[in-house]
Amino acid sequence: MRQAGTYSGMVISGKTGPHLLPLARIKKIMKKSGEEVKMISGESPIVFSKACELFIKELTQRSWMVTIKGKTRTLSKEDVASAVLATDLFDFLLNLVSQSAPAPLHPKPPN
Amino acid sequence: MEPMDIVGKSKEDASLPKATMTKIIKEMLPPDVRVARDAQDLLIECCVEFINLISSESNEVCNREDRRTIAPEHVLKALEVLGFGEYIEEVYAAYEQHKVETMQDSLKGGKWSNGAEMTEEEAAAEQQRMFAEARARMNGGAVAPKQPDPDPSVES
Repeated sequence: MRQAGTYSGMVISGKTGPHLLPLARIKKIMKKSGEEVKMISGESPIVFSKACELFIKELTQRSWMVTIKGKTRTLSKEDVASAVLATDLFDFLLNLVSQSAPAPLHPKPPN
Repeated sequence: MEPMDIVGKSKEDASLPKATMTKIIKEMLPPDVRVARDAQDLLIECCVEFINLISSESNEVCNREDRRTIAPEHVLKALEVLGFGEYIEEVYAAYEQHKVETMQDSLKGGKWSNGAEMTEEEAAAEQQRMFAEARARMNGGAVAPKQPDPDPSVES
């Protein structure tokens, strides 16, 4: 089933219905990411939107894996941080989550 | 003078909508699971950071190709370079799907007649053709699109 009209966002089909990640906002973030960001084609935010969805799903899933090891049914900030720490691919997030990280498993030498 | 770079710097004016993000997050989890508010915020910040990362790399890819506009293929290349190659297939499929849907929209031109310019089968075939073409482009044009013609005498 498809609604008429052109979307200004990427439709992500979810269980609760289609979601939209606004392309304009994605474009804004892209432009803020660097000083010499070039022009962005109209279609690029669409690709970003889907990649973001996949990223969030993966991060959520990994965080959830940490949560269920504990006894709670609440996904906490620390669980997200742990997931980031455990995944090499998410190294770029280390700075972002370092505040929320649980006690380090092993001491790291300061850089 | 730069403002102090605090971890978790807020980009209030360019962040992703919380409600939409929350829905995506919750759909990954069993229905009785709760997500702490600060965990949601952190996930959203991570997503923004992800966009920053891929943007920067896409910019680099674009530079190396001496192009002026960041195109989807640059983004896909960036994903691969940064280790998110697993996403590429799905991302690409979604992108192609979107193009087909947009094309159908513009073809229909607001008319509600039964006879659309393209039938479902034609649209699907067109999609396959675009997939193959784009894949060929991604592979440097070395591979020709697969012909559906069963005739063995046809060179592909």
